[in-house]
Amino acid sequence: MDERVNRDVGAGVTDRDPDADLMLRVRDGDGASFGVLLDKHRLPVVHFLYRMIQNHAVAEELAQEVFLRVYRSRATYEPSAKFTTWLFRIATHLALNSLRDGKHERLEERLDETSGDMPVRQVADTRPSVEQSMVYRTRLDEVRRAVAALPEKQRAAVLMHKYQEMEYTQIAKVLDCSESAVKSLLFRAYETLRARLAHMA
Amino acid sequence: MKCPLEAKGDEVLLAYSSRKLDAADVPTLEGHLENCPACRGFVQAQRTVWNVLDVWEPAPVPADFDRRLYQRIDRHVSWIDRLLGPFQGLGLGRAVPIAASAGLVLMAGLMIQRTPAPQPQPQHDTAQMEALQPEQVVLALDEMEALSQLSRPVHADSKM
Repeated sequence: MDERVNRDVGAGVTDRDPDADLMLRVRDGDGASFGVLLDKHRLPVVHFLYRMIQNHAVAEELAQEVFLRVYRSRATYEPSAKFTTWLFRIATHLALNSLRDGKHERLEERLDETSGDMPVRQVADTRPSVEQSMVYRTRLDEVRRAVAALPEKQRAAVLMHKYQEMEYTQIAKVLDCSESAVKSLLFRAYETLRARLAHMA
Repeated sequence: MKCPLEAKGDEVLLAYSSRKLDAADVPTLEGHLENCPACRGFVQAQRTVWNVLDVWEPAPVPADFDRRLYQRIDRHVSWIDRLLGPFQGLGLGRAVPIAASAGLVLMAGLMIQRTPAPQPQPQHDTAQMEALQPEQVVLALDEMEALSQLSRPVHADSKM
């Protein structure tokens, strides 16, 4: 009876989560499935870490560490939650540790580094003028500073809510807190961002 | 409809601002927004934040990201992974005792290899013995000659 219940729980998660199914195949020795997961989640993980850390080199390094830990954990993987919950829990943990370890770095140094950030949604056959590029850079710099000024957990919650489109319950599992705590984090974060960025309409 | 801001239900306004509010709830909220400047201002400001955040597009991931990752995976497969590799499918409950036994066998082998080798005699003792031996031979020969002279018979007509 218990085994059947456990099987149903496990089967239920993988039925709703194809990524968990892929990870189970990795557990069983299918290396190609790891490649599929990497293809799907590489960009979101790197971008999340970059927006948290705002340093391309560190973000890539941490992203590699995330996938390395996923791979090394393959033998004991159990789909107790969505794969992306587990994935972003690892990423958030590494990002928060990195931020705390690098606290001696001046935030201004990190923000002033030459950024490889791209203008978004350029029309293919037109290039931005110098003025447009300058306006873009100024707005981008303001956005980056506003996000960087958020406390780390608020920052993580906003990034997952906005860019990963995660629901409150999933963010709560990633941050290991209650759903009401997530709502509080997001309320305060967006309130701060509205105060800093609303003039950019 | 009760004002979401007064009811501290700004998640409704957040969802509406990002166009994720349930379609069934939209007409009711929009009716309220027509009459509530505070909520209208909230939505306008939140949509600005949303649009501005959309501007932030990080640089593409380098083309060699995967190659470097797989190199790291190869480097960081630990000796534990190599030891447990054949037992991956067994599950931790059976792999650990087997791995522990393998570890004990390994340790036993290392200990057996450490039996001390026979120690050679110290060099200086050997040299001394080699040096003494010729002298002892000469002494022995002298003694033999002396003994041989003493053992010769004394004849009567030997002249003195």
